[in-house]
Amino acid sequence: MIRFEKVNKWFGKHHVLQDIDFHVAAGDVAVICGPSGSGKSTLIRCINRLEPIQSGDIVVDGMSLTDRKTNITRLRAEVGFVFQQFNLYPHMTALENVILAPLKVRKMNRNEADELGRELLEKVGIQEKALAYPAQLSGGQQQRVAIARGLAMRPKIMLFDEPTSALDPEMINEVLDVMRKLAFEGMTMAVVTHEMGFAREVANNMVFMDEGKIIETGDPEQFYTHPENERTRLFLSKILSH
Amino acid sequence: MLSAFNFRVIWDYMGLFLQGLWATAWISAIGLAGALLVGIIACMMRISGKKLLSAPAIAYIELIRSTPLLVQLYFFYFGLPSLGIRFTEYQTGIFALSLNSGAYMSEILRAGVQSIPGGQIEAGIAFGLNYLQRLRYIILPQAIGVTIPPMLGQTIVLVKDSALLSLISVFELTRASQILTSERFMPAEGFLTVAVFYLLLYYILKSLSGWWQRHLIHRQA
Amino acid sequence: MWSFYFSQLTDSIPFFLKGLWMTFKISGISLVLGTVLGFCVGIARASKVKPLRYILYVYVDFMRGTPYLVQIFIVFFILPEWGIQLAAFPAAIFSLTLYAGAYICEIVAGGIEAVDAGQTEAAMATGLNRFQRMRYVVMPQAMRTILPPLVGQYVLLIKDSSIVSVIGLTDITRVGWLTVQRIPEGIMVFGLVGILYFSICYPLILLSNWFERRLRAQGG
Repeated sequence: MIRFEKVNKWFGKHHVLQDIDFHVAAGDVAVICGPSGSGKSTLIRCINRLEPIQSGDIVVDGMSLTDRKTNITRLRAEVGFVFQQFNLYPHMTALENVILAPLKVRKMNRNEADELGRELLEKVGIQEKALAYPAQLSGGQQQRVAIARGLAMRPKIMLFDEPTSALDPEMINEVLDVMRKLAFEGMTMAVVTHEMGFAREVANNMVFMDEGKIIETGDPEQFYTHPENERTRLFLSKILSH
Repeated sequence: MLSAFNFRVIWDYMGLFLQGLWATAWISAIGLAGALLVGIIACMMRISGKKLLSAPAIAYIELIRSTPLLVQLYFFYFGLPSLGIRFTEYQTGIFALSLNSGAYMSEILRAGVQSIPGGQIEAGIAFGLNYLQRLRYIILPQAIGVTIPPMLGQTIVLVKDSALLSLISVFELTRASQILTSERFMPAEGFLTVAVFYLLLYYILKSLSGWWQRHLIHRQA
Repeated sequence: MWSFYFSQLTDSIPFFLKGLWMTFKISGISLVLGTVLGFCVGIARASKVKPLRYILYVYVDFMRGTPYLVQIFIVFFILPEWGIQLAAFPAAIFSLTLYAGAYICEIVAGGIEAVDAGQTEAAMATGLNRFQRMRYVVMPQAMRTILPPLVGQYVLLIKDSSIVSVIGLTDITRVGWLTVQRIPEGIMVFGLVGILYFSICYPLILLSNWFERRLRAQGG
C-alpha cells in the first residue's frame, strides 16, 4: 500500500530523511516512534506530499509520488490525515468540517453528505455535537471530529501525526479508542505516536527512527521485549519509565 | 513608445529636477520636524488623562484624519490671510504638512507608549520616579524603538504629500515636472522622470526602515 | 461683510451638494473596482508563477512609492500621447482604482498570510484543490483580519479622491476652490468643505474601529 524506496529529504542543509526504505501492506498498522527531530513526522507527511522529497520514490496505492502524471489532489483524497494540532476549520460546524471535502471534491449532494457526516460523527462518538463549532469542543472532541473528517472521503489509508500529543491526559483515551476501532476494522494506518500501550495493542509493525534513519523495525512484542539495537533499547527505557 | 522618449530633454532639465528634488527633501525634512513637534505635544495632551488637555487633542486628531490634506492645505492657503496671518506659500505648505502629519505621528507615539507593559511603569512608580522621570528613563527609550518603523512609514507619506504643495505654487519636484510639461508639451518625460525620483526617495526610506527593524531585533535579543 | 459672505455661501449649497454627489460617485466606483482588483492581486501574489509575482510587485511599489497627484497626471496627460484619450471622469476612476488596488492588495495578502498554515494543510490533505482551499477555508478566515484595515483604506481613498479636483472634476474640493474665488472667505468655504468630508469619513473611521474591537473580542 505504501512503499518508500531509498527516500532522501533535506531541509536546506539538514538531512532529515536518510535512505528510507519502508513499507506498509494493506490492512497493516504501522507505528513510528523515536525522539523528537528524528524525522518521523516528516516521514509521514511525505506520504501525501505535504512535504516533497528530493530523491527516491514513494508509491502509495500503486501511484508514484514522483511521477509527474500523478494527480496529487486525487491521491490525497485516498489518504486521510489527522494532525497533532487538529486544524479544524474554526468557521464551520463539526458536521460542515467533516463533509466539506465530500461535497466539493466528490460532488455529493447535500443530503447524502449530511447523512455521511452524521454517520461518521456517530462512529467517533460525538453525533450530538454535529452543529457545534470547534471553539465549543474540548481537545479530545476536536480531534475526534478531525478523525471523522479524515474518514469522510472513504480513504484507503489513514495517517496520524502525533494525534494525542496536544491533548490533556484525560482526553487521550477517547481518541485512542477511536483509533483502535479503526485498526480492528482493518484500516491501513501509519501512526506517529509516543503512546506505547496503544502501539502494543494494535500495531503489527513497529518502526523506530532516529536522526533521519530507520534504526529498527519489527513485530511489536519482539520490539518491546527484545529490541535488537542499543539506541532502540535506550529510547524505550526512557519512554516506558514514566 | 519608448523610442520617442526624449532623453535629451530630461538631461536639459536635469538641473531643474535636481533643484526640485532638493526642495522636496527640504520641505519634507522641515515638515517632519514640525510634525514630530506637534505629534509629541498632541500625544502628551492626549494621554494626560485630564479632559481639558485630551479633549482638544482628540478633536484635532479626528479632524485631521477625517479630512483630506488638500482641503486642509486650501483651508490655510485661503483662510489664514483673512486672519491677518501672512505666510508665504512655502510657509503655508510646511505648516499644513506639519499639522497633518503631526496628528498621525501623535497616534503612532501613543501606540508606542501604550505598548510598554504596565508593570514597568508600576515599577517606576514604586521606585519613586515622578512622571517626567518615568517618561525619560522607562517609557521613551522603549517607545522610540518600536515607533521608528511606523514613523518612517509616515515620513514616506509626508514626502508624497509634499507633492500637493505644487498646487499652491510652491516650487518642488512635482512643480518641476509641471514646468517641463507646460514649456515643452512633454508630459511623459516630465511626469515619469519625477515618478522615478519619488521612487528613489521611497526606496531609501523603506530600506532605512528595514535596517532599523533588523537592528532592533538584534538588540532585543 | 461676514454675514454677506455667509448668505452667499448658503446660496451656494446646491453647488456643494452637486460636488458631494461627484465625490460619492468617484469614490464609490473606484472603491468597488479597486476592491475587486485588490482582492485579485492580493490572492495572485501568492502564485507560483514568478513573472506574474514580479509584475505585481512592480505595480504595487509604483503605486505606493509615487504621489497620487503624479499618478493622475500620468493617466490624464500621458495616456493620450499613447493613443488612449480619456475624459476627466474615466481618467480619475482609472487612476484611483489602480491606486486603491495596490493598497488593498497588501491588506488582502496580509490577511491571507495571517491564516494558520495548518488550515491550508488540512484542506490539502482532504483533496481540495487550490481554488477550493481559498474559497472555503482560507478566505473566510482571512476576511476577519482584512475587514478593519479595508474600511480604513476606504477612508483614505475618499480623502485622496479630493485630488481629482486638479483635473477639473467638480467634486467637493473643486467646488470649494471655485467658490473661494467668488467668496474670499477661505475659512468659511473650506470649513464647509471640511465638514462635508468629515461627515463621510468620520463615521467610516468609527466603523473600522468597531470592526477591530469585534475582531479582537472574538479572539483568534
